[in-house]
Amino acid sequence: MKVLIVEDEKSLSREIKLFLEKAFYLCDKAFTASEAKQFMIENEYDFILLDLGLPDNDGLELLNDTKKMCPKASYIILTARGNLEDRIKGLDLGADDYLPKPFSLLELQSRMQAITRRKSGNNDPVIEVGDFNIDLNKRSVRFEEKEIELSKKEFDLLSYMLLHKNRPLTRLQLSEHIWGSFSDDDNDSNYIDVHIKNIRKKMAIHASVDWLQTVRGVGYKIKL
Amino acid sequence: MKLLSKLTLFIALSKLLIVVLFVLLLPSLVNYASFQYSNYYLGQQKKKVLSVIHKNGIDYYLQGDSAFASYTMLKEEYISLLPAEDNHVRDTIETARRIVGEDTLNYRILIHQLSDKNKNYILEIGKTTSTINQYNRLLQRFTLYILIALTFLSIVIDLVYTHILLRPLKKIVQTKLLNRKFPFKEHSLPVKTSTTDFQFLDQSLISLMEKIHEAFEKEREFTSNASHELMTPISILQTNVENMMMEENISEEVQEKISSMMKTVNRLKKIVHSLLYISRIENDQFAKSETVNIFQLTGEIMDELSVRLETKSLHFANRISPEINVTKVNHDLFFQLLYNLINNSIRYNKENGSILLTDRYTPGQPYVLEIKDTGIGIKKEELPSIFNRFKSGKGKSEGFGLGLSIVKSIISFLGFEIKVASDFGEGTVFTIIIPQDMIETND
Repeated sequence: MKVLIVEDEKSLSREIKLFLEKAFYLCDKAFTASEAKQFMIENEYDFILLDLGLPDNDGLELLNDTKKMCPKASYIILTARGNLEDRIKGLDLGADDYLPKPFSLLELQSRMQAITRRKSGNNDPVIEVGDFNIDLNKRSVRFEEKEIELSKKEFDLLSYMLLHKNRPLTRLQLSEHIWGSFSDDDNDSNYIDVHIKNIRKKMAIHASVDWLQTVRGVGYKIKL
Repeated sequence: MKLLSKLTLFIALSKLLIVVLFVLLLPSLVNYASFQYSNYYLGQQKKKVLSVIHKNGIDYYLQGDSAFASYTMLKEEYISLLPAEDNHVRDTIETARRIVGEDTLNYRILIHQLSDKNKNYILEIGKTTSTINQYNRLLQRFTLYILIALTFLSIVIDLVYTHILLRPLKKIVQTKLLNRKFPFKEHSLPVKTSTTDFQFLDQSLISLMEKIHEAFEKEREFTSNASHELMTPISILQTNVENMMMEENISEEVQEKISSMMKTVNRLKKIVHSLLYISRIENDQFAKSETVNIFQLTGEIMDELSVRLETKSLHFANRISPEINVTKVNHDLFFQLLYNLINNSIRYNKENGSILLTDRYTPGQPYVLEIKDTGIGIKKEELPSIFNRFKSGKGKSEGFGLGLSIVKSIISFLGFEIKVASDFGEGTVFTIIIPQDMIETND
């Protein structure tokens, strides 16, 4: 999948590219609106990550223009302005999602995946994890034919970790995904332990959950 | 009291005072005037008599007798000419009794001494006091009526004029003060008036509001810029750290350090986020147009928080009436408000403690929502400062942080009221009071 990162902050752009390339996305970087347009004339993209505060043009105007140039692409607005009106305008102009800065790269990837899933219809493979089958579309976890009941938050956590499998995830990254930005509680990350404990308890009845590992002093990871 | 009412009252009272004073003085004034007039009248009569005597001699009256007296048919006036001793008496006017005909009556009498052919005479011209007073009463009544009519007319004129005069003030208050909402976005036109004081007031208000609006816009712009300036570096830091975390060949030790760095970055991020959030609320950047069902809202919040109850084995009871809706609010802010308060009541609770949500509502009264916990409580001396930014309890590992500052900003933005009561070591009750006109009930 091809991604165009339109972001004037070079180091941020570099980190996003580094991260996405590890997840097997192909990335181009544009630092200005005119550069971005040039890239779009030359290439086709699946994703366009758009910063609103560009030096030569307002991101929202650019979005308006480029929607015609790259109609197939999915647009995600990245902004540090945090303005509610911008968010509404951006979504009205046809952006697929809106991510306020500072965002977690994991969250970005998860949003991109959600958009892909939404656009491609329900054809996600059922993921095999140990002896379990996890269906992201139906939001179900099965052992052989038996359905394992997970709460909404537990399933969110599991699927987030699956998306970022083989990668240590800190409690903080997990809690940010689960509770978003409305919580400013330092204790939030500790509650992740409770969720993980519950997930393990519910699944371990049926089969081994060794794949759900604790990373000491950090958090958790799913090793497949 | 309103200026118009004050002026009206003053005008009415001052006129009344004048009328009363005049009415009190009127009898003596009229008496004085009529006495002066009757003295003058008697003097005139005397002159006529004297000129007749001068022309025709005194015998014209005496007709050979030694004395003369005559009176009008109803004895209102009399004239007498009597011989007198030698001693010279000056003209006097006095009120005295006289027997005229067979009646004794009170007269106002002019006494004049004259001499004719070496004989002295005393001329008396009299007029009954009752005749004088008869006119008095008439005069008094007449004056009074005219006075009342004039006073009434002048009050009416004064009031109408005051009303017209004060009309621009009323308009200024209405258009500039009452019907304006912070931050005075729409430009307002000056009120038409020829009174320079009002023009000055109006102009001052207009320029004041423009200044406020400008300052407000600047602040809004600042918030947006500051947000950008602060969030971008944090954003770079966060992505850097996240990428470092993904490196495969790092030791456990380094991984732990990166994780702790991530925590620090996150703390910074949360603080900046909260500060910007507060300034955005105070800057009026949220719409207040949604209707929220409190029972449903608390349900949503408990979905988020249920795992925390479990961790501490807390007992939670939601006794909110399901039919209460709050109108003209912002759902996200209301959510954040209750989330922070309930989250605190979990965070500062004890193992096996409890949290109780209750409400009270009688139509016509404000709606009251209570969040009661059996937590560690707040010390009395700390209660007044818990809503202040960055104020933390002494000897506690974690401060109140910005959670309660956010609560306070949301409370004042939404037009609610909050109260807190706490027994240290026993628990805390937060009470939210919502104005009655924002409450709707489902039936």
